[in-house]
Amino acid sequence: MNNRQIIKRFQRPLILLILMLILTILQPRIFPTASNFKSILLAISIYGVMICGAIYPVLLGGIDLSVGAVAALSGACTVLTIVNGGYSNASVIEGVTIGLCAGVMVGLAHGIIITNFRVPPFLITLASMNIVYGITQLLTNNLVISCLKPKSFTFIGGGRLLGIPFPIYIFLSMALVSYLILNKTIFGRSVYCVGGNPVASVLSGISSKKITVASYIFSGFTAALAGIILASMNQQAIAKAAQGYENDVLTAIVVGGTSLMGGEGSIQGSVFGALLVGLLNNGLRLMGVPSIYHTVIKGAIIIAAVAFDIYSRNKNSGLVKFKKSAARIGKA
Amino acid sequence: MNNDILLSARDIEKSFSGVKVLKKVNLEIRRGEVHALIGENGAGKSTLVKILTGAYQKDAGIIRYNDTEVELNSRHDAIKLGISVIYQELSLIPTLTVTQNIFLGREKDTAGILNKKSMRKKVIEIMDYYGLSVDPDAIVETLSIAQRQIVEILKALTFESSLIIMDEPTASLSSKEAESLFNIINNLKQKNVSILYISHRLEEIYRLADRITILRDGKNIAVLEKGQTNPTDVIRFMIGKELADTSGLGRMRRNDKNVVLKVNKLSCKGVFADISFEVHEGEVLGIGGLVGSGRTEVLHSIYGAKKYDSGEILFNGKPLPSSIIKNIRAGIAMIPEDRRNQGLIPLLDITRNIAAPNYDRLSGRNIWVKAKEELAFCKEAILQLDIRPNNPEIQVMNLSGGNQQKVVVGKWLMRNLKLLLVDEPTAGIDIGVKEEIYNIIEDLASKGVAVIVVSSDLKELLRVSHRIIVLRNGRIIKEFNDGFVSQEDVLKAASGITREEAEQFEQ
Repeated sequence: MNNRQIIKRFQRPLILLILMLILTILQPRIFPTASNFKSILLAISIYGVMICGAIYPVLLGGIDLSVGAVAALSGACTVLTIVNGGYSNASVIEGVTIGLCAGVMVGLAHGIIITNFRVPPFLITLASMNIVYGITQLLTNNLVISCLKPKSFTFIGGGRLLGIPFPIYIFLSMALVSYLILNKTIFGRSVYCVGGNPVASVLSGISSKKITVASYIFSGFTAALAGIILASMNQQAIAKAAQGYENDVLTAIVVGGTSLMGGEGSIQGSVFGALLVGLLNNGLRLMGVPSIYHTVIKGAIIIAAVAFDIYSRNKNSGLVKFKKSAARIGKA
Repeated sequence: MNNDILLSARDIEKSFSGVKVLKKVNLEIRRGEVHALIGENGAGKSTLVKILTGAYQKDAGIIRYNDTEVELNSRHDAIKLGISVIYQELSLIPTLTVTQNIFLGREKDTAGILNKKSMRKKVIEIMDYYGLSVDPDAIVETLSIAQRQIVEILKALTFESSLIIMDEPTASLSSKEAESLFNIINNLKQKNVSILYISHRLEEIYRLADRITILRDGKNIAVLEKGQTNPTDVIRFMIGKELADTSGLGRMRRNDKNVVLKVNKLSCKGVFADISFEVHEGEVLGIGGLVGSGRTEVLHSIYGAKKYDSGEILFNGKPLPSSIIKNIRAGIAMIPEDRRNQGLIPLLDITRNIAAPNYDRLSGRNIWVKAKEELAFCKEAILQLDIRPNNPEIQVMNLSGGNQQKVVVGKWLMRNLKLLLVDEPTAGIDIGVKEEIYNIIEDLASKGVAVIVVSSDLKELLRVSHRIIVLRNGRIIKEFNDGFVSQEDVLKAASGITREEAEQFEQ
């Protein structure tokens, strides 16, 4: 009993440790080095930032598929503003603000449409993913817009502080902010309530509309922030910049134990999911597995995680047992 | 002689986890007869129906159909014999047409290609024969509930059913629609189809039934022929004499303290109309009536969870906004009917559930939750309500029904309540916890809280209420505010038999 609880509690760090151990044994020279760990963290920091916001719609039982497209839009807005503003520091501030605002606006639109017209989140964010992608193509004329200066801009994605890449700081602080919101504020409590049972929440006086709108806004905000980091890291803006990032984001969230049905999950779990995906990517690359296999393996992991989530939910609610006994009655 | 009998069930017994639900029950249905099955909630009606339709297997007893002994091991067995059931929740596929639904799973085909014409023709034939009418090509989604019922009946008839079981068929029909259903039932009867009719509405049973079987506590109480009964007897049989005498009486009393809530001519089209009543400080007002009579909707309208068309709701003399959040702040609380879907967040622990409506207090104007106070408050609620297990971190989905209900009650205890709305407070709860919930309600009332209790459990209604109003078809038809009231009185009012009518029958 006690042993089981301990294992359950430290299950996730344990999985990470075991994976690291395996990779260390397989690649003792390259894997366990400080620079490799830095590169793992750097690689996950972009979608790590996205996760910090994208987890909110998932906790509500919804989803935000537009994070990749929003990141590209925000990167484009920022870079275009800087280029047009003559690469001045003021234009960097202006550009970042405009980029973040673009993300917030998309999130606001999602929230309003979902709460007022009851469009399923999956559909509306799928549609807006395409719309936002199209807008970004229009803005950039479908060209690569490079932006190699000023330093205040390139530092966001490419700078180092105490030898550690700056995006890692942004990722960790966003994770902390998201953790505090989810666990220490009324808003966070309400997110779990609305995700767990919207009807009961409304009857308990929780404004499920406000919570939903705010959640999608936050998701748009973090996607935009990630887009700015990415644009700065690559020193360019392009419509296809973060295409497919929503896959990594959702993989990490789901692998981290957040239920797609809402009401259950944590930012710690999602960060674990991001680390796991990052380690896997890194390990597969170090072992020379061709990148075409990466997506196959990641897909398999999502299926396993979701199947496990649904199985354990049903088991908790007694449904699995019921199915078995129903089958037995059927046989008799 | 025996050829008259279509179905005879003798000495049927059934237990669930050791509790006997049916004790040697008999039921006999003649050909072309409308047979009513009545009894209070929990008397065993639905268990008996489920045995007849093969959904449950009987523990003992004999079922004979068309004079041969039969075993009903599945729904399929029952359908093959010719027993069909039309449930309260209709089981049609909304996006398919009437014909497609009727032939679902047994479509006619020629060499694997659907023979739509012949299916459509068959539907029309049956409709003509039994005098039914509905467009065979209409999409079920677009039909009214009454029309969907006709589709269900048609489906049963294409199975060549000789016995159709109807479970509360008029519960969601308007009186006009019910009227046409009664015509259909008469047509079916003339074509020698037997109907087993289950309803709480005695007036309907009087109109339709040739015979009535009454169940109480899983036992046959009586089989009455048409003409040899009167409503008073039936109700007495249903409730049981000993209860109708003295022990089940509720003493009604008026209260002249301040009026907390005044509802004036509240109407909502098609749901309720012209509802007016008052609740005083420290008073428990009971609302009786059958399921579907508009009780729950009235509560929801007061609480701000449902819009209404006209009328006004005054709370301490001021109009009540239709905003749940504002109403909760003003001291109104609701314990909803459906615990699992409306009252609780099953995945969250006891603390978070109890805290859900209280964050305005647990944080003041701050955005941060005062976690220590949250936990202390929850612990106090657990102690005060004796919630078991007393671990605040247990997910509420793992609690028993009674303890879940205590959590729902616990949500409101910290607030300075003025008005508590309670809907079916003890549905599916064991007796011990029931008593505790009644005590909580009484305790709150003695502290000056105005309480409105909606309940289908007559004993409960009489136990907690100071006054009772009875709703039927969305209107208040009776108020008990004086003297002693029995379950019989409430049931008569709810099912539409006034005392005068009853006396006429008795003469």
